[in-house]
Amino acid sequence: MTEKKGREVSESCVDSLLTEMVSTYCNRFYANKPELAARRIEAIGYQVGHQLSERYTMERPRFNDHLEAIKFICKDFWSELFKKQIDNLKTNHRGTFVLQDNRFRWLSRISIDPSLENGDSQDPSAMAESKAAQATSMHLYFPCGIIRGALSNLGIPCAVSADISNLPACSFVVRIKA
Amino acid sequence: MQFFGGSEISPSPPAPTVSGNNAHMVYVFNRNGVCLLYREWNRPLHTLNAQQDHKLMFGLLFSLKSLTAKMDPTSAERGNLGVPQLPGQGCSFHSFRTNTYKLSFMETPSGIKIILVTHPRTGDLRDSLKYIYNLYVDYVMKNPLYTPGSPIRSDLFITTLDQYVRSIA
Repeated sequence: MTEKKGREVSESCVDSLLTEMVSTYCNRFYANKPELAARRIEAIGYQVGHQLSERYTMERPRFNDHLEAIKFICKDFWSELFKKQIDNLKTNHRGTFVLQDNRFRWLSRISIDPSLENGDSQDPSAMAESKAAQATSMHLYFPCGIIRGALSNLGIPCAVSADISNLPACSFVVRIKA
Repeated sequence: MQFFGGSEISPSPPAPTVSGNNAHMVYVFNRNGVCLLYREWNRPLHTLNAQQDHKLMFGLLFSLKSLTAKMDPTSAERGNLGVPQLPGQGCSFHSFRTNTYKLSFMETPSGIKIILVTHPRTGDLRDSLKYIYNLYVDYVMKNPLYTPGSPIRSDLFITTLDQYVRSIA
């Protein structure tokens, strides 16, 4: 009886690779064009999510409805990617789902400079803080793309955005296209 | 050769003590002498301004390392003084003690120097310094918003460091 040997990848390598990817797209390829950089990163995530969902649903039957597919994303898919499940799922029963991860792994080490909040005048500190927030939000396009790619491979076209008003918790908002 | 232990942060810190911070101050320098972090919890006397103080500390460590390597009676080879080595290899001092404080030092292969100044009866702090280095790797080096070589401003790192140092009895 042979034991199924799992292949493993170093987590530090993946983290560093993602950091570099975001940094390269934002600062080198599309410097000063954050919307284009965001779209490219999201497109990469889309491809990755597409392929991953193919892999992780190999032995499963088709999903009956959208809720089943979203629950798959929250439980099995998230566990394969981040070794934990989504902590909280909310829906308005009209095609919008909010997936909340209370400690999103890829953001767990981001820390915004506290000295930026002690500006004398309002404008420079507000601008600096929003730059940090913008830099952080660039790291979210990849996971949003992954979710969008996975769902579209399951036959559910949608739009995904992220909300980080509450670091290190992160909420992904999925709007299914009618 | 795994030097700094597994991928998880280890060892886990003991429970925090009730009294305030036992340590006096901590410095973190990088390979080029840039002071990445300076925290003080308990230092009534300031003789120099911050910049001079950091330069003095870095120079002191450089000289001490050089001196201890040159005076080593057990080693036949000179060793390369400019290059950081694995802790335990070559000859490098790790602490000195006076009647009022103890200074503990660790240099990593990447040239990061961590200095912790505590009260004189503190035991061997090498494991604690390793733990602090692990914190540095996790919260500073892995922070996508951090530029290597610039002063550390990560809230997460500083808070965790404060808590950990408080727990070193």
